[in-house]
Amino acid sequence: MAAIHAFDEPEATTRGEFVRVLAVGGVLVIGGLTLAELAPRALSAPSRSQDVQILNFALRLERMQAALYRRAIERARLKGEALRFARTAEGHEREHIAYLERILGSSARPSPRFSFGNATSNASRVLSTAVTLEDASVGAYNGQVANLTKGALADAMRIASVDARHAAWIRSINGQPPAPDAIDTPLTEQQATQRIARAGIR
Amino acid sequence: MTPSEPSLQGLDDIDRDGAIREAASRLPTTSRRGFLGAAVAGGVLAAVLARPAGARAAASSGDIAILNYALVLEYLQAAFYTEAEQSGALTGIAAEADRVIGAVERAHVSALRKALGSAAVKRPFFDFRGNTEQQDAFLRTAVAFEDLGTAAYKGQLARISDPALLAAAASIHTVEARHAAWIRYLAGVTPAAEALDPPFSMARTQQLVASTGFIVQRPRTNGRRPPRFTG
Repeated sequence: MAAIHAFDEPEATTRGEFVRVLAVGGVLVIGGLTLAELAPRALSAPSRSQDVQILNFALRLERMQAALYRRAIERARLKGEALRFARTAEGHEREHIAYLERILGSSARPSPRFSFGNATSNASRVLSTAVTLEDASVGAYNGQVANLTKGALADAMRIASVDARHAAWIRSINGQPPAPDAIDTPLTEQQATQRIARAGIR
Repeated sequence: MTPSEPSLQGLDDIDRDGAIREAASRLPTTSRRGFLGAAVAGGVLAAVLARPAGARAAASSGDIAILNYALVLEYLQAAFYTEAEQSGALTGIAAEADRVIGAVERAHVSALRKALGSAAVKRPFFDFRGNTEQQDAFLRTAVAFEDLGTAAYKGQLARISDPALLAAAASIHTVEARHAAWIRYLAGVTPAAEALDPPFSMARTQQLVASTGFIVQRPRTNGRRPPRFTG
Protein backbone atom coordinates (compact mmCIF):
# COMPACT_ATOMS: atom_id res chain seq x y z
CA MET A 1 0.00 0.00 0.00
CA ALA A 2 2.92 2.30 0.67
CA ALA A 3 3.70 2.33 -3.03
CA ILE A 4 0.19 3.42 -3.94
CA HIS A 5 -0.17 5.99 -1.21
CA ALA A 6 3.14 7.60 -2.13
CA PHE A 7 1.09 8.93 -5.04
CA ASP A 8 -1.09 11.02 -2.79
CA GLU A 9 0.70 14.30 -2.69
CA PRO A 10 -1.09 17.63 -2.50
CA GLU A 11 0.67 18.66 -5.67
CA ALA A 12 -0.76 15.71 -7.55
CA THR A 13 -4.27 16.61 -6.40
CA THR A 14 -3.90 20.17 -7.60
CA ARG A 15 -2.62 18.99 -10.91
CA GLY A 16 -5.48 16.51 -11.20
CA GLU A 17 -7.97 19.31 -10.77
CA PHE A 18 -6.02 21.61 -13.03
CA VAL A 19 -6.13 19.34 -16.06
CA ARG A 20 -9.91 19.21 -16.10
CA VAL A 21 -11.01 20.63 -19.37
CA LEU A 22 -12.39 24.11 -19.24
CA ALA A 23 -15.37 24.67 -21.47
CA VAL A 24 -15.44 28.40 -22.01
CA GLY A 25 -17.85 29.67 -24.61
CA GLY A 26 -17.75 26.37 -26.43
CA VAL A 27 -13.96 26.43 -26.72
CA LEU A 28 -12.28 23.47 -25.11
CA VAL A 29 -8.83 23.82 -23.69
CA ILE A 30 -6.89 21.12 -21.94
CA GLY A 31 -5.88 23.40 -19.11
CA GLY A 32 -3.28 25.05 -21.34
CA LEU A 33 -1.00 22.09 -20.74
CA THR A 34 0.88 19.89 -23.12
CA LEU A 35 0.28 16.14 -22.99
CA ALA A 36 3.56 15.45 -21.28
CA GLU A 37 2.54 17.61 -18.35
CA LEU A 38 -0.76 15.82 -17.72
CA ALA A 39 0.47 12.65 -16.12
CA PRO A 40 0.82 11.94 -12.46
CA ARG A 41 4.36 11.00 -11.52
CA ALA A 42 5.24 7.33 -11.31
CA LEU A 43 5.60 6.20 -7.70
CA SER A 44 8.04 3.41 -8.02
CA ALA A 45 9.08 1.18 -10.85
CA PRO A 46 6.37 -1.26 -11.94
CA SER A 47 6.72 -4.71 -10.39
CA ARG A 48 4.66 -7.84 -9.93
CA SER A 49 4.05 -7.02 -6.27
CA GLN A 50 2.89 -3.50 -7.13
CA ASP A 51 0.58 -5.02 -9.79
CA VAL A 52 -1.00 -7.15 -7.06
CA GLN A 53 -1.72 -4.09 -4.92
CA ILE A 54 -3.19 -2.11 -7.80
CA LEU A 55 -5.23 -4.94 -9.32
CA ASN A 56 -6.66 -5.75 -5.89
CA PHE A 57 -7.88 -2.17 -5.66
CA ALA A 58 -9.40 -2.57 -9.13
CA LEU A 59 -11.00 -5.83 -7.98
CA ARG A 60 -12.55 -4.03 -5.03
CA LEU A 61 -14.05 -1.40 -7.34
CA GLU A 62 -15.46 -4.05 -9.68
CA ARG A 63 -16.97 -5.99 -6.73
CA MET A 64 -18.52 -2.74 -5.50
CA GLN A 65 -20.08 -2.08 -8.91
CA ALA A 66 -21.46 -5.61 -9.25
CA ALA A 67 -22.93 -5.42 -5.74
CA LEU A 68 -24.51 -2.02 -6.43
CA TYR A 69 -26.24 -3.25 -9.57
CA ARG A 70 -27.39 -6.51 -7.98
CA ARG A 71 -28.92 -4.66 -5.05
CA ALA A 72 -30.42 -2.04 -7.34
CA ILE A 73 -32.09 -4.71 -9.49
CA GLU A 74 -33.52 -6.34 -6.37
CA ARG A 75 -34.66 -3.23 -4.53
CA ALA A 76 -34.90 -0.10 -6.63
CA ARG A 77 -37.69 -1.05 -9.03
CA LEU A 78 -35.69 -0.06 -12.05
CA LYS A 79 -37.50 0.09 -15.36
CA GLY A 80 -36.74 0.44 -19.05
CA GLU A 81 -33.27 1.61 -20.02
CA ALA A 82 -32.10 1.88 -16.38
CA LEU A 83 -32.99 -1.78 -15.79
CA ARG A 84 -31.35 -2.79 -19.06
CA PHE A 85 -28.23 -0.89 -18.02
CA ALA A 86 -28.10 -2.44 -14.54
CA ARG A 87 -28.50 -5.98 -15.87
CA THR A 88 -25.90 -5.53 -18.61
CA ALA A 89 -23.43 -3.75 -16.35
CA GLU A 90 -23.82 -6.31 -13.56
CA GLY A 91 -22.96 -9.07 -16.05
CA HIS A 92 -19.91 -7.13 -17.24
CA GLU A 93 -18.70 -6.42 -13.70
CA ARG A 94 -18.96 -10.11 -12.84
CA GLU A 95 -16.79 -10.88 -15.85
CA HIS A 96 -14.32 -8.19 -14.75
CA ILE A 97 -14.18 -9.78 -11.30
CA ALA A 98 -13.53 -13.23 -12.78
CA TYR A 99 -10.88 -11.79 -15.11
CA LEU A 100 -9.03 -10.02 -12.26
CA GLU A 101 -9.34 -13.05 -9.97
CA ARG A 102 -7.81 -15.21 -12.67
CA ILE A 103 -4.87 -12.79 -13.06
CA LEU A 104 -4.36 -12.42 -9.30
CA GLY A 105 -4.77 -16.11 -8.48
CA SER A 106 -4.20 -16.75 -4.79
CA SER A 107 -3.27 -13.08 -4.29
CA ALA A 108 -6.87 -11.98 -4.91
CA ARG A 109 -8.39 -10.46 -1.79
CA PRO A 110 -11.76 -11.82 -0.70
CA SER A 111 -14.87 -9.74 -1.23
CA PRO A 112 -15.77 -7.35 1.57
CA ARG A 113 -19.40 -6.60 2.43
CA PHE A 114 -20.47 -3.25 1.04
CA SER A 115 -22.95 -0.86 2.53
CA PHE A 116 -24.77 1.38 0.08
CA GLY A 117 -26.77 3.39 2.59
CA ASN A 118 -29.93 4.57 0.87
CA ALA A 119 -28.25 4.61 -2.56
CA THR A 120 -30.35 1.69 -3.74
CA SER A 121 -33.67 2.90 -2.31
CA ASN A 122 -34.95 4.32 -5.60
CA ALA A 123 -34.03 4.54 -9.27
CA SER A 124 -32.83 8.14 -9.21
CA ARG A 125 -30.40 7.46 -6.33
CA VAL A 126 -29.11 4.36 -8.10
CA LEU A 127 -28.40 6.38 -11.23
CA SER A 128 -26.44 9.12 -9.50
CA THR A 129 -24.50 6.62 -7.36
CA ALA A 130 -23.65 4.60 -10.46
CA VAL A 131 -22.36 7.73 -12.23
CA THR A 132 -20.05 8.51 -9.29
CA LEU A 133 -18.80 4.93 -9.01
CA GLU A 134 -18.15 4.37 -12.72
CA ASP A 135 -16.48 7.79 -13.14
CA ALA A 136 -14.28 7.16 -10.09
CA SER A 137 -13.32 3.73 -11.41
CA VAL A 138 -12.30 5.14 -14.79
CA GLY A 139 -10.17 7.77 -13.04
CA ALA A 140 -8.66 5.12 -10.75
CA TYR A 141 -7.57 2.93 -13.67
CA ASN A 142 -6.14 5.93 -15.51
CA GLY A 143 -4.26 7.01 -12.39
CA GLN A 144 -2.34 3.73 -12.21
CA VAL A 145 -1.29 3.11 -15.81
CA ALA A 146 2.32 4.18 -15.35
CA ASN A 147 2.62 2.04 -12.20
CA LEU A 148 1.64 -1.27 -13.79
CA THR A 149 3.84 -3.73 -15.64
CA LYS A 150 3.04 -3.86 -19.35
CA GLY A 151 1.07 -7.11 -19.14
CA ALA A 152 -1.07 -5.93 -16.24
CA LEU A 153 -1.59 -2.59 -18.01
CA ALA A 154 -2.98 -4.30 -21.11
CA ASP A 155 -5.34 -6.37 -18.93
CA ALA A 156 -6.51 -3.38 -16.88
CA MET A 157 -7.22 -1.24 -19.96
CA ARG A 158 -9.57 -3.84 -21.43
CA ILE A 159 -11.71 -3.29 -18.33
CA ALA A 160 -11.18 0.49 -18.00
CA SER A 161 -12.75 1.38 -21.35
CA VAL A 162 -15.80 -0.78 -20.59
CA ASP A 163 -16.23 1.07 -17.30
CA ALA A 164 -15.94 4.30 -19.32
CA ARG A 165 -18.71 3.03 -21.62
CA HIS A 166 -20.84 2.25 -18.54
CA ALA A 167 -20.16 5.75 -17.20
CA ALA A 168 -21.27 7.36 -20.48
CA TRP A 169 -24.30 5.09 -20.73
CA ILE A 170 -25.55 5.78 -17.20
CA ARG A 171 -24.86 9.50 -17.65
CA SER A 172 -26.96 9.43 -20.84
CA ILE A 173 -29.83 7.82 -18.96
CA ASN A 174 -29.41 10.28 -16.08
CA GLY A 175 -29.42 13.34 -18.38
CA GLN A 176 -25.79 14.24 -17.69
CA PRO A 177 -23.08 14.91 -20.29
CA PRO A 178 -21.70 11.44 -21.14
CA ALA A 179 -18.18 12.70 -21.84
CA PRO A 180 -17.74 16.01 -20.03
CA ASP A 181 -13.96 16.29 -20.43
CA ALA A 182 -11.51 16.08 -23.34
CA ILE A 183 -9.32 13.92 -21.13
CA ASP A 184 -10.51 11.80 -18.18
CA THR A 185 -8.77 13.03 -15.06
CA PRO A 186 -6.51 10.36 -13.55
CA LEU A 187 -7.23 9.77 -9.86
CA THR A 188 -5.06 8.42 -7.08
CA GLU A 189 -6.43 5.52 -5.03
CA GLN A 190 -7.18 7.96 -2.24
CA GLN A 191 -9.02 10.41 -4.50
CA ALA A 192 -11.15 7.64 -6.02
CA THR A 193 -11.91 6.25 -2.57
CA GLN A 194 -12.94 9.69 -1.27
CA ARG A 195 -15.36 10.26 -4.16
CA ILE A 196 -16.95 6.87 -3.58
CA ALA A 197 -17.23 7.49 0.17
CA ARG A 198 -18.92 10.83 -0.51
CA ALA A 199 -21.57 8.93 -2.52
CA GLY A 200 -22.39 7.02 0.68
CA ILE A 201 -20.77 3.69 -0.20
CA ARG A 202 -18.86 1.99 2.60
CA MET B 1 2.12 -6.14 -53.65
CA THR B 2 -0.63 -6.53 -56.22
CA PRO B 3 -3.48 -4.04 -55.92
CA SER B 4 -6.08 -6.53 -54.76
CA GLU B 5 -8.68 -5.88 -52.07
CA PRO B 6 -7.47 -6.35 -48.54
CA SER B 7 -8.95 -9.03 -46.37
CA LEU B 8 -11.61 -7.52 -44.15
CA GLN B 9 -11.37 -10.33 -41.65
CA GLY B 10 -12.23 -8.95 -38.25
CA LEU B 11 -14.21 -6.03 -39.61
CA ASP B 12 -17.34 -7.51 -38.10
CA ASP B 13 -15.88 -6.97 -34.67
CA ILE B 14 -15.53 -3.25 -35.07
CA ASP B 15 -18.03 -2.46 -37.80
CA ARG B 16 -20.99 -4.18 -36.24
CA ASP B 17 -23.46 -1.92 -37.94
CA GLY B 18 -21.78 -2.08 -41.31
CA ALA B 19 -21.09 1.64 -41.64
CA ILE B 20 -17.52 1.24 -42.80
CA ARG B 21 -18.43 -1.47 -45.28
CA GLU B 22 -21.42 0.47 -46.46
CA ALA B 23 -19.27 3.54 -47.01
CA ALA B 24 -16.74 1.46 -48.93
CA SER B 25 -19.44 -0.23 -50.98
CA ARG B 26 -20.80 3.11 -52.14
CA LEU B 27 -17.66 3.76 -54.12
CA PRO B 28 -17.67 2.93 -57.80
CA THR B 29 -15.95 -0.44 -58.16
CA THR B 30 -12.94 0.79 -60.07
CA SER B 31 -11.99 3.66 -57.83
CA ARG B 32 -12.66 1.50 -54.78
CA ARG B 33 -10.31 -1.21 -56.05
CA GLY B 34 -7.77 1.36 -57.03
CA PHE B 35 -7.89 3.15 -53.72
CA LEU B 36 -7.87 0.04 -51.57
CA GLY B 37 -5.00 -1.38 -53.54
CA ALA B 38 -3.00 1.78 -53.23
CA ALA B 39 -3.75 2.06 -49.55
CA VAL B 40 -2.75 -1.51 -48.80
CA ALA B 41 0.38 -1.26 -50.90
CA GLY B 42 1.79 1.33 -48.58
CA GLY B 43 -0.64 4.05 -49.60
CA VAL B 44 -1.83 7.20 -48.00
CA LEU B 45 -2.33 6.23 -44.37
CA ALA B 46 0.72 4.00 -44.14
CA ALA B 47 2.81 6.74 -45.74
CA VAL B 48 1.52 9.24 -43.23
CA LEU B 49 2.21 6.99 -40.29
CA ALA B 50 5.59 5.77 -41.45
CA ARG B 51 7.01 9.20 -42.24
CA PRO B 52 10.27 9.58 -40.39
CA ALA B 53 9.78 12.10 -37.67
CA GLY B 54 12.26 14.77 -36.78
CA ALA B 55 12.77 13.27 -33.35
CA ARG B 56 12.02 15.31 -30.29
CA ALA B 57 14.70 14.95 -27.69
CA ALA B 58 12.23 13.99 -24.97
CA ALA B 59 10.37 11.22 -26.77
CA SER B 60 11.59 7.90 -28.14
CA SER B 61 11.09 7.19 -31.83
CA GLY B 62 8.61 4.49 -30.83
CA ASP B 63 6.53 6.95 -28.84
CA ILE B 64 6.62 9.47 -31.68
CA ALA B 65 5.35 6.86 -34.12
CA ILE B 66 2.51 5.97 -31.75
CA LEU B 67 1.54 9.60 -31.15
CA ASN B 68 1.53 10.26 -34.89
CA TYR B 69 -0.63 7.19 -35.41
CA ALA B 70 -3.05 8.53 -32.79
CA LEU B 71 -2.88 11.96 -34.42
CA VAL B 72 -4.02 10.57 -37.79
CA LEU B 73 -7.02 8.90 -36.11
CA GLU B 74 -7.84 12.14 -34.29
CA TYR B 75 -7.52 14.14 -37.54
CA LEU B 76 -9.97 11.70 -39.10
CA GLN B 77 -12.49 12.02 -36.27
CA ALA B 78 -12.13 15.79 -35.92
CA ALA B 79 -12.63 16.33 -39.66
CA PHE B 80 -15.66 14.05 -39.66
CA TYR B 81 -17.48 15.79 -36.79
CA THR B 82 -16.54 19.25 -38.02
CA GLU B 83 -17.79 18.52 -41.52
CA ALA B 84 -21.02 17.05 -40.11
CA GLU B 85 -21.55 20.18 -38.02
CA GLN B 86 -21.01 22.40 -41.04
CA SER B 87 -23.27 20.31 -43.25
CA GLY B 88 -26.21 21.36 -41.08
CA ALA B 89 -27.81 17.95 -41.63
CA LEU B 90 -27.95 16.89 -37.98
CA THR B 91 -30.77 17.72 -35.60
CA GLY B 92 -31.56 17.49 -31.90
CA ILE B 93 -29.29 15.54 -29.56
CA ALA B 94 -27.28 14.12 -32.46
CA ALA B 95 -26.33 17.69 -33.43
CA GLU B 96 -25.37 18.44 -29.85
CA ALA B 97 -23.27 15.29 -29.52
CA ASP B 98 -21.56 16.13 -32.81
CA ARG B 99 -20.71 19.63 -31.60
CA VAL B 100 -19.33 18.47 -28.24
CA ILE B 101 -17.43 15.45 -29.55
CA GLY B 102 -16.06 17.48 -32.46
CA ALA B 103 -14.65 20.08 -30.08
CA VAL B 104 -13.05 17.34 -27.98
CA GLU B 105 -11.49 15.61 -30.99
CA ARG B 106 -10.09 18.95 -32.14
CA ALA B 107 -8.64 19.40 -28.64
CA HIS B 108 -7.02 15.94 -28.96
CA VAL B 109 -5.54 16.95 -32.31
CA SER B 110 -4.05 20.12 -30.93
CA ALA B 111 -2.74 18.37 -27.80
CA LEU B 112 -1.05 15.67 -29.87
CA ARG B 113 0.36 18.24 -32.28
CA LYS B 114 1.74 20.19 -29.36
CA ALA B 115 3.28 17.06 -27.86
CA LEU B 116 4.87 16.13 -31.18
CA GLY B 117 6.06 19.60 -32.14
CA SER B 118 7.85 19.55 -35.46
CA ALA B 119 7.56 15.73 -35.57
CA ALA B 120 3.77 15.93 -36.04
CA VAL B 121 2.48 14.50 -39.32
CA LYS B 122 0.40 16.75 -41.55
CA ARG B 123 -3.35 16.46 -41.78
CA PRO B 124 -4.38 14.15 -44.63
CA PHE B 125 -7.28 14.94 -47.00
CA PHE B 126 -10.63 13.35 -46.29
CA ASP B 127 -13.70 12.44 -48.26
CA PHE B 128 -16.49 11.10 -46.06
CA ARG B 129 -18.63 10.20 -49.06
CA GLY B 130 -21.89 11.65 -47.88
CA ASN B 131 -21.73 10.22 -44.36
CA THR B 132 -21.62 13.69 -42.82
CA GLU B 133 -24.76 14.76 -44.68
CA GLN B 134 -27.37 12.37 -43.35
CA GLN B 135 -28.12 11.65 -39.71
CA ASP B 136 -28.39 7.83 -39.80
CA ALA B 137 -25.22 7.46 -41.85
CA PHE B 138 -23.48 9.94 -39.54
CA LEU B 139 -24.42 7.95 -36.43
CA ARG B 140 -23.39 4.60 -37.91
CA THR B 141 -20.06 5.97 -39.07
CA ALA B 142 -19.43 7.70 -35.74
CA VAL B 143 -20.07 4.42 -33.87
CA ALA B 144 -17.49 2.69 -36.05
CA PHE B 145 -14.96 5.54 -35.61
CA GLU B 146 -15.25 5.66 -31.82
CA ASP B 147 -15.13 1.89 -31.33
CA LEU B 148 -12.10 1.84 -33.62
CA GLY B 149 -10.44 4.75 -31.79
CA THR B 150 -10.90 2.99 -28.44
CA ALA B 151 -9.45 -0.28 -29.77
CA ALA B 152 -6.58 1.48 -31.57
CA TYR B 153 -5.44 3.42 -28.49
CA LYS B 154 -5.78 0.31 -26.36
CA GLY B 155 -3.53 -1.60 -28.75
CA GLN B 156 -0.72 0.91 -28.23
CA LEU B 157 -0.83 1.76 -24.52
CA ALA B 158 1.50 -1.00 -23.36
CA ARG B 159 3.99 0.00 -26.08
CA ILE B 160 4.40 3.61 -24.91
CA SER B 161 7.63 4.05 -22.99
CA ASP B 162 7.26 7.58 -21.57
CA PRO B 163 5.09 7.35 -18.39
CA ALA B 164 3.63 10.84 -18.89
CA LEU B 165 2.62 10.14 -22.47
CA LEU B 166 1.20 6.79 -21.38
CA ALA B 167 -1.00 8.41 -18.73
CA ALA B 168 -2.25 11.01 -21.20
CA ALA B 169 -2.96 8.43 -23.91
CA ALA B 170 -4.82 6.18 -21.45
CA SER B 171 -6.99 9.10 -20.34
CA ILE B 172 -7.79 10.03 -23.95
CA HIS B 173 -8.55 6.36 -24.62
CA THR B 174 -11.33 6.27 -22.00
CA VAL B 175 -12.81 9.46 -23.47
CA GLU B 176 -12.99 7.70 -26.85
CA ALA B 177 -14.82 4.86 -25.08
CA ARG B 178 -17.26 7.37 -23.57
CA HIS B 179 -17.87 8.82 -27.02
CA ALA B 180 -18.45 5.33 -28.41
CA ALA B 181 -21.05 4.61 -25.73
CA TRP B 182 -22.71 8.00 -26.16
CA ILE B 183 -23.04 7.69 -29.94
CA ARG B 184 -24.18 4.08 -29.63
CA TYR B 185 -26.89 5.19 -27.21
CA LEU B 186 -28.07 7.82 -29.71
CA ALA B 187 -27.91 5.28 -32.56
CA GLY B 188 -30.03 2.83 -30.55
CA VAL B 189 -27.35 0.14 -30.20
CA THR B 190 -26.05 -1.16 -26.89
CA PRO B 191 -23.41 1.27 -25.51
CA ALA B 192 -21.28 -1.53 -24.01
CA ALA B 193 -21.48 -4.64 -26.15
CA GLU B 194 -18.85 -6.73 -24.37
CA ALA B 195 -17.35 -7.11 -20.91
CA LEU B 196 -13.80 -6.68 -22.22
CA ASP B 197 -12.98 -4.21 -25.00
CA PRO B 198 -10.51 -5.62 -27.55
CA PRO B 199 -7.17 -3.98 -28.47
CA PHE B 200 -6.40 -3.53 -32.18
CA SER B 201 -2.93 -3.60 -33.71
CA MET B 202 -1.71 -0.75 -35.91
CA ALA B 203 -1.86 -2.99 -38.97
CA ARG B 204 -5.46 -3.95 -38.35
CA THR B 205 -6.51 -0.37 -37.67
CA GLN B 206 -4.76 0.89 -40.81
CA GLN B 207 -6.44 -1.80 -42.86
CA LEU B 208 -9.87 -0.88 -41.49
CA VAL B 209 -9.34 2.83 -42.10
CA ALA B 210 -8.02 2.14 -45.59
CA SER B 211 -11.08 0.03 -46.36
CA THR B 212 -13.35 3.04 -45.80
CA GLY B 213 -11.70 5.13 -48.49
CA PHE B 214 -12.15 8.16 -46.23
CA ILE B 215 -8.51 9.24 -46.53
CA VAL B 216 -7.79 10.45 -50.04
CA GLN B 217 -4.82 11.70 -52.01
CA ARG B 218 -6.36 15.11 -52.67
CA PRO B 219 -9.68 16.79 -52.03
CA ARG B 220 -12.50 15.38 -54.10
CA THR B 221 -15.80 16.89 -55.02
CA ASN B 222 -18.23 14.04 -55.49
CA GLY B 223 -20.43 14.85 -52.48
CA ARG B 224 -23.77 16.57 -52.70
CA ARG B 225 -22.31 19.58 -50.99
CA PRO B 226 -18.95 21.17 -51.62
CA PRO B 227 -16.39 19.49 -49.37
CA ARG B 228 -14.92 21.42 -46.50
CA PHE B 229 -11.67 20.12 -45.13
CA THR B 230 -11.60 22.02 -41.95
CA GLY B 231 -11.17 19.42 -39.20
